[in-house]
Amino acid sequence: MKTAQVIMDTGAHAAALAVKSARVDVVPGYPITPQTSIMEAVAAMVENGELHARFIPVEGEHSAMAAAVAASAAGARVFTATSANGLLYMHEVLHMASGGRLPVVMCNVNRGIFAPWTLWADHQDSFAQRDTGWIQYHCSSNQEVYNTILQAFRVAEQINIPVMVNFDGFAISHCLMPLTLPAQEDIDRFLPPYEPGWRLDPAHPSSFSNVTNAAEYAPFREMLSGDILASISLVKQAAQEYKEITGMWDGDTIDTYLLEDAEVVAFAVNSMAAELRLSIDILREQGIKAGLLRPRLYLPFPTEDIINAIPQNAQIMVLDRNYNFGHPGGILASELKSVLFGRRNDLTVKNRVVGIGGIDLTRRFMAEEILSMMEE
Amino acid sequence: MLELRINGFGGQGSVTLAHLLAQAALENGKQGQALPFFGVERRGAPVRAAVRMSPTTIHAHSQCELPDFVVVMSEKLTEAAVSEGIHENGTVIINAPYAAAFDNYPTWHVDADSIAREAGLFSADGPFINIPLFGAVCRVLNIPQNIMEQTIKNKWPENGKRNLNAAGKAYHTVTQSNKQLAGSR
Repeated sequence: MKTAQVIMDTGAHAAALAVKSARVDVVPGYPITPQTSIMEAVAAMVENGELHARFIPVEGEHSAMAAAVAASAAGARVFTATSANGLLYMHEVLHMASGGRLPVVMCNVNRGIFAPWTLWADHQDSFAQRDTGWIQYHCSSNQEVYNTILQAFRVAEQINIPVMVNFDGFAISHCLMPLTLPAQEDIDRFLPPYEPGWRLDPAHPSSFSNVTNAAEYAPFREMLSGDILASISLVKQAAQEYKEITGMWDGDTIDTYLLEDAEVVAFAVNSMAAELRLSIDILREQGIKAGLLRPRLYLPFPTEDIINAIPQNAQIMVLDRNYNFGHPGGILASELKSVLFGRRNDLTVKNRVVGIGGIDLTRRFMAEEILSMMEE
Repeated sequence: MLELRINGFGGQGSVTLAHLLAQAALENGKQGQALPFFGVERRGAPVRAAVRMSPTTIHAHSQCELPDFVVVMSEKLTEAAVSEGIHENGTVIINAPYAAAFDNYPTWHVDADSIAREAGLFSADGPFINIPLFGAVCRVLNIPQNIMEQTIKNKWPENGKRNLNAAGKAYHTVTQSNKQLAGSR
């Protein structure tokens, strides 16, 4: 391991620095709060020559993802970023990236969805992309954002599936924290240059993504479904090797805190899951055996790791920062119950929806929520 | 973990003040965090920012509801700022030319407006009070002067002289307004 550098930086700028460290070739971009700071920083890096990439300003997010798909099909390493309604506007083309097996990496800076308008974080935007065939990480710190973007490129390019790296608007994107930057030599060792298996090349004309009949179409979808599940082992490998090279660890498919002897398990993603560590400390001081399980991966859902990690007879308190419309409560709780059913009948799952539209989630508030859920 | 909240008006430089304090924590061998709350971004609207310092990794990502220190960038905001929440052993630092003390909390004041103007730190919109306030807060937090100065030099490597003068003056003139309070820091 070479000497790393510690700087103070925001989550959004940490993402831009990861794009630079990953030696990305093409960045199509369109601004939306709170993501804009990423694109501004990347555009400046391209402008001043720090990053040898092509920055493509486009007229909307649908075009941003279309440009990302085209550049990736031409063999480039591609990054873009968006938030909330920008992500929704991309929705159709997200399917093109996954179905086309193009290893695009995108940051989604989580923000609540209109209407009414809000600028602040909840997780409706990323969870609403569940069925697009993208791998989804959710990050709980600036450092994890940086680390995960590098891991995301590696996983994406190994299995030809696009990866979305999600983190909270403002609470992470505009939060200034210490950031450790590994030596570029170490990053290059972890993430070698992208060698696409095929590429669109005008010198050797070929076509891509033709109309298929059912017998041709179905195997593509089956392969995509199987490969998304198979990516779990690549996610673990990437986290492990990143740790060996840089010394940094944010968890692999899941991250846990004081889980081993926990009777009460908080279950949440993103920055609120970092704050929840402090809530767990408050509950432990009151003699409650509390712990935390934070899925780093939302998709593929880390079923086996969750089932293996949760202690016997625990009560799981799922804190969802989103709504599962048509069902009571949130999306994470539904996902969790569906994988526990028939496998861990010793567990109880309770659920609250909190922090919608950026309502501040303090350690005291979440500790009190968990206490009141225990009374239910 | 030390928690601090800055209360000010949009345009007073509270984000830069929060960043400087977090950077000073790192310079001082600790972990630092600056988490401004971005509301409707317009000049004159009340704004706030959270700052945290800790010897270990900071996991908090909320605003500071019961901070150990409240920094009030305009004395007009003092009552509102403190009523937003402060730790029972909390301390208040106010930008004011005279003692404006609370009965319950150790209170410090610094004349950041005059210090900024005297140092030539002002524009048509008013004085850059965040620089003297940075000096004053460092003093109250017992952050050594050389750490405070190094933080300014790192941020403005070319042109930090006036900033250094203003921050230094505030470091030495910030005064506890109610010295009689027990538990004063």
